[in-house]
Amino acid sequence: MTIVATDSPAAPALRRFALRGYVPLFPPFAVLLLFFAVPIGMMIGISFQDPKTAQFSLGSYQRFLTDGLIIAGLFRTILMSGLVAICVTVMAYPVAYFLARSTSRWRAIVFALAIAPELAGVVLRTYGWLIILEDRGFVNDALIWLGLVSSPLPLAKNLFGVVVGLTHVVLPFGILALLTSIQGIDPNIEKAAQILGASRLSVIRHILLPLSIPGTVSSLLISFTMAASAYATPALLGGARFKVLATMISEQIMFYINWPMAAVMAIVLLVLMLAITFAGGRVETRLHKKLNV
Amino acid sequence: MNRLLSGLFWISLCLILAFITLPLLVVVAASLSPSSMVTFSPADWTMKWYAALWASKWLDPFILSVKIAVIVSLVSGVLGALGAYAVAYEKCPGSEAIMAFLLSPLAVPQIVKGVAIVLFLSSAGLYTLLGTPGLIAGHIVLTLPFAARMIATSIYNFDKNLDRAAQILGASKWQRVRHILLPLIKPGLFSGMTFAFIISFNNIPLSVFLVRPGQTTLPITVINYMEYSLDPVLAAVNVASLIFILTTIFLFEKLGGFSAQIHGGSK
Amino acid sequence: MSDIDIELISVRKTYGNALVVGDISLSIPKGEFVSLLGPSGCGKTTTLNMIAGFQQPTGGEIRIRGRNQAGVPPEKRNIGLVFQNYALFPHMTVAENVAFGLRMKGAPRAEIDQTVNTALKSVHLEGFEAHYPKELSGGQQQRTALARAIAPRPSVLLLDEPLSNLDLKLREAMRVELKEIQQQLAMTFVYVTHDQEEAMAMSDRVVVMSGGVIAQEDKPENIYNAPRTSFVADFIGKSNILPVSAVRATGDQREITINHSNISLAVGSDQAGPPAARFCCIRPEDVRIIGGEAFAEGANVLDGTISKIVNLGAHLDLWVTVDRDITIKALVRSSRSDQLKTGNHVSISIAPAAIRLLHE
Repeated sequence: MTIVATDSPAAPALRRFALRGYVPLFPPFAVLLLFFAVPIGMMIGISFQDPKTAQFSLGSYQRFLTDGLIIAGLFRTILMSGLVAICVTVMAYPVAYFLARSTSRWRAIVFALAIAPELAGVVLRTYGWLIILEDRGFVNDALIWLGLVSSPLPLAKNLFGVVVGLTHVVLPFGILALLTSIQGIDPNIEKAAQILGASRLSVIRHILLPLSIPGTVSSLLISFTMAASAYATPALLGGARFKVLATMISEQIMFYINWPMAAVMAIVLLVLMLAITFAGGRVETRLHKKLNV
Repeated sequence: MNRLLSGLFWISLCLILAFITLPLLVVVAASLSPSSMVTFSPADWTMKWYAALWASKWLDPFILSVKIAVIVSLVSGVLGALGAYAVAYEKCPGSEAIMAFLLSPLAVPQIVKGVAIVLFLSSAGLYTLLGTPGLIAGHIVLTLPFAARMIATSIYNFDKNLDRAAQILGASKWQRVRHILLPLIKPGLFSGMTFAFIISFNNIPLSVFLVRPGQTTLPITVINYMEYSLDPVLAAVNVASLIFILTTIFLFEKLGGFSAQIHGGSK
Repeated sequence: MSDIDIELISVRKTYGNALVVGDISLSIPKGEFVSLLGPSGCGKTTTLNMIAGFQQPTGGEIRIRGRNQAGVPPEKRNIGLVFQNYALFPHMTVAENVAFGLRMKGAPRAEIDQTVNTALKSVHLEGFEAHYPKELSGGQQQRTALARAIAPRPSVLLLDEPLSNLDLKLREAMRVELKEIQQQLAMTFVYVTHDQEEAMAMSDRVVVMSGGVIAQEDKPENIYNAPRTSFVADFIGKSNILPVSAVRATGDQREITINHSNISLAVGSDQAGPPAARFCCIRPEDVRIIGGEAFAEGANVLDGTISKIVNLGAHLDLWVTVDRDITIKALVRSSRSDQLKTGNHVSISIAPAAIRLLHE
């Protein structure tokens, strides 16, 4: 019905009908405009206001670039997200490979184990890690009881704790990203290499790893962006002094009541996300072209 | 060499799976332990923390969360179906751009959406919408893209010949949508709604800005409590809400998951 | 006019510059079984879709029972359609599938039940009412699709390669059954296929299509015995198509010369072949190998060498090279395979009446 002959007598009727096709879009568009597009626009507007007088001002942007604490928070965000991206991808790889290649009945169980935690929500998992990692937690109790350490190790309320917690939160997404990629590699290619005399290690090095680079990139990408925009895990596992962009934003809203500053921080986070997604997307397309997959 | 490698592979796989399950097991054990010392011996286990949940301190936020999640799931299902219908079934011109707009909230971190909505409500003088109405609106923005995408996918996978078959048998557009399209995309519709329910029920980054005293969702109540104490009642709350989520998924699956006849049918 | 069910008047369909169907005119009387036959891309499916109303013609007019169908949507055309992949509704039982058309029209319950029963009986599917499509075999799905299409009693039934997903045995059985059902219902059938045997077996009339136009339209036997073009001759059955350089008339006898050769063949006087014939067509079964088989008086006799033999079971396909570039295919009974070997010198005979002259 997309091609309508101009000389056909049915044309006007069909065209009127085509317009009616847009009617169902009104409700979802209205909701997205009112509660998404307009608020984002207002947020951008507010970022150019002076916190006190509401006059036009670039002050908040200036402060963002010059305030050492804020810049430190930005770099802490990038460092934390980078570490999480690496940990997630390294840990996701063996699981994804197993899920892609296994035909045993364990496959379903491993799949459920890998994905199920996602249903539990962030709070439960963060709480779990807190009681495992805190000073009087599980791991420290065990270490002291074994006599390996005399005082509790600082496992929570710092970068280490946050990276552990976030890795756990993001891991299922890394597994899914790599799984899709590895499933796309024809297992016969691996067999062909083995027939040609390649050892397991050379198959991994020369076949599997190069061919799964697109999956690795998308796993790194999704892990980085999820970690950088995470709020609850850094807030709970990081403690009061571990500040990243997400927690600093909520602090600006709830404690300092400095809307322009919160808006600026949110915009920086948004731009960081979009830039990484865009750059990563370009890298992925190029890899896909190169590998012809 | 090959054996060493595969040995290493299996060990790392087991360790990673242990890493994934450890916090869940610890929380379950903690919820049953008599004191904040976590014990794994079933003989000492107690249900007292679960009994403590029967107090308005926990019940009220739970009921609010359920109420919001149900509304969000229904509204996302309807709005997502409308959008997906226009894009994937009517294929109206510009459908790619329309889909991109419907999915655009996914590109924005939740915390940024949260800030934007709270600034919008505050500066537009809509303070009164904070709490339940604001939470519902915010969660819909969050879940609508997922629902629209899932429903659109199932419409794309729907065999267009079935629609033509119904049409040539004399079914009007409305009859085709009601008797052919809707029943066949029901699984997609229900998984979209289930997804919306879970996202809404567990949400923190948006809710944290939108709650108000007396109208606080369960996850926000829990993290507020966690700032002061880690006592095992939290473990019980978490396990109980996980069980609730699993039950809900099961119910949605019963309602919307089609009996086997649909799979392997035409196509 | 009232006994014409479908009429196409200069119907044309183009996509941009591509011509899919070019100025087709066709009338189909009530109760006729017509096949649209042609290779893929010949425009037969597009023609079917235009009759059904799923595609709009770029030019020309389609009339059903005398009414112009421009702007009439498929659901208002009262036509039945059997799809190649059957398109059974997977969430409905066989009975619900068959009842669908009447239900949409708001027919009363009792009438629906009775029609469903009759329709299922006519396709021999009694007892399968409560089955879901995926529980049926390919043949049963096919019958369900047929029952669903005929249940609302449309005046015209369109069938889009309905047998192509069945295995050979079942396909042959269904041909007979489809024809019986058509005659019983006295319904107009328009059958799209690329399978010439199907078209031949069932149709009252075959419309051979090529490149978006009608190449020939006739009774099945005439299509086979008197092809009008080399395309039809080549597409329907097997044939030797030889280029002709000259046609001479001597009395009531005609003689042709085959291009780039010294071969001359006498041609039967019964056919008023065009004087400017460019090809001739000889069916392999009309080529006789001399020695063993008697041949008619006055037949053309050619000497040649057997260049290739393919055993087809009951028959042998024989390639006989009669001149440098000219090879003629012959079909002979396998019982003679002992005498015929590659490289043998043989004589072949072709009766003048078996040679058809073609002008394109």
